[in-house]
Amino acid sequence: MNTEEILTLATGIVSSWDWATESSRPNPKQLDVKVKSLDELVPIIVALRVKRLGYLSAIVCLDLGPEANELEVLYHFCPGDAVIALRVRVPRAGASLPSLCEIIPGAEVFERELQEMFGIQMIGLNTPDRLYLPDDWPDGIYPMRKDFDPKALFAN
Amino acid sequence: MATNKEPERFTISIGPQHPALKEPGSFQFTVDGEIVTKAYVRLGYAHRGIEKAAEQRNWIQDLYLLERVCGICSHIHATAYCLAVEELAHVEAPPRAQAIRVLVAELERIHSHFLWIGVSAHEAGFDTLFMYSWRDRETVMDLLERLTGNRVNYSANVLGGVKCDIDAEQTTAILDGLNFLEERARHYFDVLTNDSMFLQRTRGIAVMSRNQAEVMGAIGPTARASNVARDVRIESPYAAYTQYPIKMALDTRGDLEARFVVRVNELFESFRLIRQILATLPEGELTARMPRRVPAGEVVKRVEAPRGELYYFIKSNGTDKPERLKVRTPTICNMTSVIKLAVGHQLADVPMILAGIDPCFSCNDRTVELTDTDRKTSNIMTWEELRRYGIKFYEARK
Repeated sequence: MNTEEILTLATGIVSSWDWATESSRPNPKQLDVKVKSLDELVPIIVALRVKRLGYLSAIVCLDLGPEANELEVLYHFCPGDAVIALRVRVPRAGASLPSLCEIIPGAEVFERELQEMFGIQMIGLNTPDRLYLPDDWPDGIYPMRKDFDPKALFAN
Repeated sequence: MATNKEPERFTISIGPQHPALKEPGSFQFTVDGEIVTKAYVRLGYAHRGIEKAAEQRNWIQDLYLLERVCGICSHIHATAYCLAVEELAHVEAPPRAQAIRVLVAELERIHSHFLWIGVSAHEAGFDTLFMYSWRDRETVMDLLERLTGNRVNYSANVLGGVKCDIDAEQTTAILDGLNFLEERARHYFDVLTNDSMFLQRTRGIAVMSRNQAEVMGAIGPTARASNVARDVRIESPYAAYTQYPIKMALDTRGDLEARFVVRVNELFESFRLIRQILATLPEGELTARMPRRVPAGEVVKRVEAPRGELYYFIKSNGTDKPERLKVRTPTICNMTSVIKLAVGHQLADVPMILAGIDPCFSCNDRTVELTDTDRKTSNIMTWEELRRYGIKFYEARK
């Protein structure tokens, strides 16, 4: 399959089943899909995996800042030369997302990172422990958020 | 009342000191007798917060920061970053610069694979091979130094191009070096596929089927040894790989031996490619002009590091600093396969399974803790002792 065929197939998948998605093509190699309902995230990824488009390169989290008060999570699937980006938004307070561990074992490391660095709770994670941060890192302080202040670490 | 008939179970912690790696790790293996029944990884002992630091530096400072993510594959990090920023700024580096980027990347791959042959031979107790391969690696290190002025962080890239050119004298030196290295690589191929003592440690060990490799998200030579045709240089050619296509090294067996065969075959392909680039190096400028501010946008850039796909995501907000920069190194993806493959194997095979993915390590002296989970006692062993234990175990089986 060439890049165009991959992206056409992916567009077909994400626009079927009445899934609430919005697709766009920021460049010829990339398909951006906004997933509006968190319940639909896992089924969409399963559908991509079934069609062999589900090679997950990375999960990236963007902090949109205290004003927007939201975090954006990007799931980058890279079959061949194409990039399929699934984008979901979660509120900064009490953020949670379904874990992909059951369908993509390799997603575990990315999810553990998101959990400790951005404070998104991953539901269904096999090993919810810290991956990178030290054991004595204070709870509730997420270093990759935009408003992280290192002074908070030395408060006591 | 607890019976004493239950097999003794130990939890073995390997690590955490693992300094050469961006992600130095602590592993815990639960063993039932000799067989590993559970594996667990904990990383972050040298997490330096580079992604956060990159948000606070400007585009030029970030180049030098990111080149220091890894000491072995420094050039490929800088290349991925430069290509990503150039794409955001709609600048294309001149053809000569792109060819030199690929040339340095392939020299780096040669140095990395020679290093790995040595490290994994050492883990198997074959120290002669380790010393010879590291001696030969000096040849390629010297070539890199001659070309760029540096042995480790070559700093060949700048935003918009490269800063080193290749003249006739350097071309001759590289070609001479390659002839020597190719002859040595042929010898290693022979040793790695024919030495019966070494094959005992690699053949049929840690077999990963194609399906397993795909499910676990294995990448790079580790995946290609399981016949997963995934190589960014071919799937999504970047820099000069469109003009200089490579042939993918694949193997169907999926064991440790296959991982050796694939990496040595990649060496031959790198030799061929470097000769081809030197023969047909395009003339022209080395750099294109880069703006100080990079337009707002997002970019995903993937390149093939010696260990597999290296992924960069950059979001720019139109200022002189990136809004978000994400680096995903290949080892983190292959780590999942170590955790899953170790289960069911002998404890003595663990060093080789870990070395099989080429996890960027130079440290041989890590602490290994043996804990009897029933009796809550613990027994500390160094990595060196575990390595010796593995070698002795196989000696006893002869």
